Amino acid sequence: MIWRYDSSFEGFLSAVVRSYTDKSLPDFLTRTEVEMGLFDEILDIPTNTADAYKLLNAIENQLGTKIKHKVFHTFLCDDQPFENDLLRYIRLGFKDPSLLERISHPLVYSIEEYQKRTLRTVHKMNAFSRFETLEEGTLYAQIAPPRNVLPLMGGHFKKRFQHERFIIHDLKRSTALVYDKKTLELHTIHDYEEPVRSEDEATYQHLWKRFFDHVAITQRLNPKLQRSHVPLLYREWMCEF
Amino acid sequence: MTIDEKLTLLTESAKYDVSCSSSGSTREENYTGLGATGKSGVCHAYSADGRCISLLKILFTNYCIYDCSYCINRSSNDLPRAAFTPREIADLTINFYKRNYIEGLFLSSGIISNEDHTMGLLLKTLQILRHEYRFNGYIHVKLIPGASQELIIATSLLADRVSSNIELPSSKSLQLLAPDKTKEKVFLPLMQAKNYALENGKRPIGMSTQMIIGATPESDWEIMRLSDSLYSKAMLKRVYYSAYIPVNNDKNLPALTTPPPLLREHRLYQADWLLRFYDFNVDEILNEEHPYLDERFDPKLAWALRNLHYFPIEVNRADKETLLRIPGFGARSVQKILHARRQKQLSTSDLIAMKISLKTARYFITVGGKQPEKMLMTYEALESKLLALPKPLPNAQPTLFDHFASISGEL
Repeated sequence: MIWRYDSSFEGFLSAVVRSYTDKSLPDFLTRTEVEMGLFDEILDIPTNTADAYKLLNAIENQLGTKIKHKVFHTFLCDDQPFENDLLRYIRLGFKDPSLLERISHPLVYSIEEYQKRTLRTVHKMNAFSRFETLEEGTLYAQIAPPRNVLPLMGGHFKKRFQHERFIIHDLKRSTALVYDKKTLELHTIHDYEEPVRSEDEATYQHLWKRFFDHVAITQRLNPKLQRSHVPLLYREWMCEF
Repeated sequence: MTIDEKLTLLTESAKYDVSCSSSGSTREENYTGLGATGKSGVCHAYSADGRCISLLKILFTNYCIYDCSYCINRSSNDLPRAAFTPREIADLTINFYKRNYIEGLFLSSGIISNEDHTMGLLLKTLQILRHEYRFNGYIHVKLIPGASQELIIATSLLADRVSSNIELPSSKSLQLLAPDKTKEKVFLPLMQAKNYALENGKRPIGMSTQMIIGATPESDWEIMRLSDSLYSKAMLKRVYYSAYIPVNNDKNLPALTTPPPLLREHRLYQADWLLRFYDFNVDEILNEEHPYLDERFDPKLAWALRNLHYFPIEVNRADKETLLRIPGFGARSVQKILHARRQKQLSTSDLIAMKISLKTARYFITVGGKQPEKMLMTYEALESKLLALPKPLPNAQPTLFDHFASISGEL
């Protein structure tokens, strides 16, 4: 049996709750957008927000904040089929919390790896996101990260742009982080118009490119190393490339 | 000259400085302005040579009254010269920072008119940034040897890191190639900044220096001994090594066609890491008998090969310091082992499950009394075995300095 949830975090947690109420485990747990085989039997799991938050609280209270973060970070690793592992990981924890400390356990190890992937991407996006200044002074960045890291990027930028307005727009997932000098909010963007850039925006992009090109030491050119640090998929949104 | 042309020229002149670290600032957090510094640095881009770009690294000016043989900006070179104004640099910094291109500024300079005048211009730039624009990002500034103590101290109070480059590893070489500099003169501003902070109960400022490798005949042993004393006695945070790239034709220097000794530079950084994070003494890594690092092996492996009596080490029992001495294990692997063995006695398959590489380590360990690979107790046998291992190309570029994760090579 294949279980399918609506690709929200609450939806995923609802599926975990379902595994307890039904006393059964799916062969496979997956998101809506994943293609199914023709003859697969599919059960759609309805999202129950109240149940989801109850479970999340239980995770926090019984397994600790660290594990709660691990669960959320793994969930954001949305380029991977993490669902089966994460479902079994949570159940393993409720059975015996001490097992989650054992990193040589295959489930524990694989969740650790998902989390690492996500956090590495957060680090990369904090570094590689490029803002442009809009007419009225707002800083605006378009991104399309390989994993859903936007929810984890707010704190970093809020700290440095405390007194600026900024928007980070994930074009791939149609979401945006909006900061208005006071609060930080995550929005879904249904459609949008390309905003007008400030007059000096092009000048500074040009100057940055100048700097970028001339700071390299020609006798030490190493495009392979450069590529391992900045993989091509990040470059589309970086004006210097 | 337009800003565009100045930026091009003064970036070109600044690029040979290795340091681009933006980590480890201890300045107090202050949220009244623009920007913040983190404990670990951020590399915002990587240039075509694969080096981390964290800071806007530029010279204030490439005018210089000194004539150091190894330097592209020496006074006897006929090249276009330019100087920024303090405000031009401040505006560039702010606008780059807002766009998330950089973590801050790395400001260095040639000596224009005289030392005090130059130091004054750098100070003015920092004052505009910190006081007028309320910039709270990272600033690394070069202290100008020979400038007055008041200027040095005022400047260092506004910076996250200050540095002064020794450039050459011995007084003799300095005298030959940079007659305007002496070791004492180069380090005086660093000592002044440090002493002021100590006497006034201020935060200790991060200090660093840089040495050119391969321009002069010093051995690796001499170089590392100097580094060691800079870390332990002068309390420097970082010593950078820069493979010499010939930029001038000079009878006292390698010919212009000499390629930069990148592998030697890489090995020196590895040895430097062993000193700072792996609890090694200089004399263990290098000594009279072995004054140069073995280019074929990393320095830890080379040390292990000379000290086979120390091995094999039992992974389940050895303490942290001992585990760190096993070739092929880095800080991250050791951390994993320490954590995992609290739960259970580890076997070789546990190590593999944790993705700990045993490629090199397997010759030097026992796991639960068993050896993953029969220990070859002779130097020659091990040497040929290890040389036959497929080698990844050494990553000759140090990145993300100071950051713990970089010790283990992870982002």
